[in-house]
Amino acid sequence: MKEEQKKTVLEKYKIALQKGERFWPDSIYKDLLVSLAIFIVLILLATFLGVPGEPKADPSDTAYVPKPEWYFLFLFKFLAVYGQIPLLGKIEWIATAAIPALVILLLFVLPLMDKNPYRHYSRRIMALSIMAVFVTSMVVLTVISGIPTTSGNTGMSAMTLLQFLTGLVIPIMAYIIIVGSSFLSNKLKLLGSRLQKWTAVGGSLSMIVVAGVVILIAPPAAPSAEVQVANTLTEQIIAGQDLYSLNCVQCHGADGEGGIISGVQGLEGFNMKAIHSQDEMYTRSDETLGDIISYGQPNLGMQPFGKSYGGALSTSEIDYIVAFMRYTWDDRSVIPAGAVSTIPELNPGEVPSWDVHIQPLVKRYCVSCHRTGRQNNNYLMTSYQEMLTTGDNAPLITAGDPKSLLLTLINGHEGKDPVTGNVIRQMPPTKLLDPKYVDMLTRWVMAGMPQTAKEAAALAPTPTATPTGGVAPAVPTPTPTP
Amino acid sequence: MAGSHNISRRDFVKLITGAVGAIIGAAIGLPAIDYLIDPALKAAGKDAWVPLGKLETFEIGKPTLATFTRSTVNGWEKTVNSYGVFVLRSSDTDTLILSNKCTHLGCHVNWNVDKQEYICPCHDAQFGINGEVLGGPPPRPLDRYTGDQVQVTDGKLLIYFRGG
Amino acid sequence: MWKKLFAWLDERLALNELYKATLDRPEPKGNWWNTLGSASLFLFLLQGVTGIFLSVYYTPSPDHAFDSIQYIMNGVAFGWLIRGIHHWGATLMVLVVFIHMLRVFVTASYKYPRELTWLIGVGLLLCTLGMGFTGYLLPWDQKAYWATTVATSIAGSVPIIGSFIMKALRGGTDLSALTLSRFFAAHIWMLPAVLAGLIGVHLFLIIKHGESEFPGKDD
Ligand code: HEM
Ligand code: FES
Repeated sequence: MKEEQKKTVLEKYKIALQKGERFWPDSIYKDLLVSLAIFIVLILLATFLGVPGEPKADPSDTAYVPKPEWYFLFLFKFLAVYGQIPLLGKIEWIATAAIPALVILLLFVLPLMDKNPYRHYSRRIMALSIMAVFVTSMVVLTVISGIPTTSGNTGMSAMTLLQFLTGLVIPIMAYIIIVGSSFLSNKLKLLGSRLQKWTAVGGSLSMIVVAGVVILIAPPAAPSAEVQVANTLTEQIIAGQDLYSLNCVQCHGADGEGGIISGVQGLEGFNMKAIHSQDEMYTRSDETLGDIISYGQPNLGMQPFGKSYGGALSTSEIDYIVAFMRYTWDDRSVIPAGAVSTIPELNPGEVPSWDVHIQPLVKRYCVSCHRTGRQNNNYLMTSYQEMLTTGDNAPLITAGDPKSLLLTLINGHEGKDPVTGNVIRQMPPTKLLDPKYVDMLTRWVMAGMPQTAKEAAALAPTPTATPTGGVAPAVPTPTPTP
Repeated sequence: MAGSHNISRRDFVKLITGAVGAIIGAAIGLPAIDYLIDPALKAAGKDAWVPLGKLETFEIGKPTLATFTRSTVNGWEKTVNSYGVFVLRSSDTDTLILSNKCTHLGCHVNWNVDKQEYICPCHDAQFGINGEVLGGPPPRPLDRYTGDQVQVTDGKLLIYFRGG
Repeated sequence: MWKKLFAWLDERLALNELYKATLDRPEPKGNWWNTLGSASLFLFLLQGVTGIFLSVYYTPSPDHAFDSIQYIMNGVAFGWLIRGIHHWGATLMVLVVFIHMLRVFVTASYKYPRELTWLIGVGLLLCTLGMGFTGYLLPWDQKAYWATTVATSIAGSVPIIGSFIMKALRGGTDLSALTLSRFFAAHIWMLPAVLAGLIGVHLFLIIKHGESEFPGKDD
């Protein structure tokens, strides 16, 4: 800038100051109002949206799909769109390093590059046009960042082409036209700046329209699986109990007591030692327990459960199981109140229901075998319907029939498979249920197997008060994440 | 002359001040740089033969993910990292082993049964069953373990893994 | 009494001069868009305060980072509020700083005599993004771990020196305890120090040259 231009700038500024205001209090007042508004928004966000929970980092999870923080999404999407360019797209450092570096460099040197001495927007069409196109393309890329770049078929699909258009082609063309028209001769200056203006407006609008089309034709996003995160120790122990029931009970027993294994291929008849003893609990650290679950004991017949070794459990899930074991069996740990989902006690005369009593009971003692994929004569117990209707020998329970096969078996009597004539030993195979649970199941069958607490109350011979006993129904438990 | 003596004395003092500053800066700054990048310079290799399991457990004709862990000492701490490879047995004798690390920016690819291709969830790369690039940004096919990087001992499949 | 005390302090601290130089300055007619810079400053200070509080319980190690955040969220009184403000404050700060930059661009306030102010501002934007990037890893959850794995391998794609940059960022070949502790150091010491320094210069330049006037037709 020439010296006299500088002088006019400074003089004009002096006049502006005379017509202006004072920093304190006039400007600060406005600043403070805006800051206050932002502060209120922050408090509201923190209170009503909070920070979404996420499971702990799991380096063994090789299937996690990473996503950057939202303000980097446009870059992430840019990489994806850029990568679809044939040939050039393979040179990834152009997109990952060279282009971002160039943009940052341009930002840095902007004041030196922009020789235009004017400040009013009508005389800065070119600069504003470029920025408008740039910001629009950033916004558009962010908005479509969740949509897959390809529609799944190999090669260039319509989906890819459209995203290509809005993310790369339109902005680049716009930049070329805008910069190019600045070289028009003096006579055509007016035309040039009109062209720039309309390129910016048209380019931005068409980017938005194409992005809109992309969003419209995008396949509906698969609902992302809701991940349940056990936040507090109590939640972890409950989650651990469920996972233990599903994965471990079959061999180790519902309370870690062990016993003769039955119904497990390869381990039939093996006498499993107890794992809940002081010997075990005092000599194995949480880490060791976790490692045993994760790696298994292949030579002893225990399969690996951790994802790192081909099992199905994530590191967090194994941590939950360890927390459950530690807090229920180790007499040095004080179990936090409410940390174990209990099966409510029955009052005399009260009729149990599936929802309140039976479901937690079978979940704890039976479901580890009675679910799909286990040896169980196809008798499944994961839902009310299954409990009543499944099984090779269905029905296993008949309302009001004390000779129902299920009741025979849980009372420790042998039952005959009516179809094959094979003898079925007691259930559960290793250790019979506590008599009060046998009684609970018996009462349930005799009353006609009510599903909800309401139905159960209606069936009770003498109207009982609503289930008392002071024990809350089982806390809804997080389902194990796949 | 007193005046000129004064000025040159000043210059001398300026020079010394600058030099002392520079020396202190360098004495702290140079070791600091080395201090900060040291772990990068010392990053240990992790080359080793890694067992993937019994060969017969891999179904013929279907890419199966096999994962394994390697632990390295990073600074004071032992870190366990998991890695995955897809094992594809095309016949009793032929086995193709592909790294599951996308050659673009290192996300993990998945085998998509319906489309019969490997898909990278990050920027939608597609690889064919033999690891060749079908679409998307990756610059080269999926890394393969071939030749002397693979061996079968006692029915167990092993690969020579190069970390880092 | 107060007058005397003030006079005594003024004699030693030059309070009056300070007041004249920093607060009692003439300004061009104000504009609501001009509040965004101070809003960025406000957010920076708020992040600093909440961040310092977080560091009371937060532990930067892979074994404990996640649990310590869980404790902040569920165990400590108002932990959810402090972390919530820090979390959303980071988002808003990026947004506000960016819009602040756009405002400066649109009113062409980066022109003479304020070129340096803009230059420093770009540095501030980069540092803010750096804060977001390093802070994202600290909770050591799945999102943090894998996003940082991919983001650092982006640096690895630079030709020749890429793999060195990646290892220097990670402090080794893979993400590990070293990565977390160096991200932590960058997040709470290095970047905030640079930010604070740059903000100081930024503000000095703003006071020196005054807030630019809203461009009129003949500017
Ligand atoms: C410019 C200011 C700052 C920005 C933009 C920023 C950004 C962030 C972000 C994005 C996170 C991740 C938060 C989450 O996802 O929960 C974070 C976490 C954290 N920051 Fe900052 N931060 C700033 C200043 C500070 C300062 C000054 C300190 C301490 C002196 C600090 C200490 C922490 C700590 C301890 C965490 C971990 C807690 C957590 O992840 O919730 N931050 N920061
Ligand atoms: S990392 Fe696989 S496509 Fe980018």
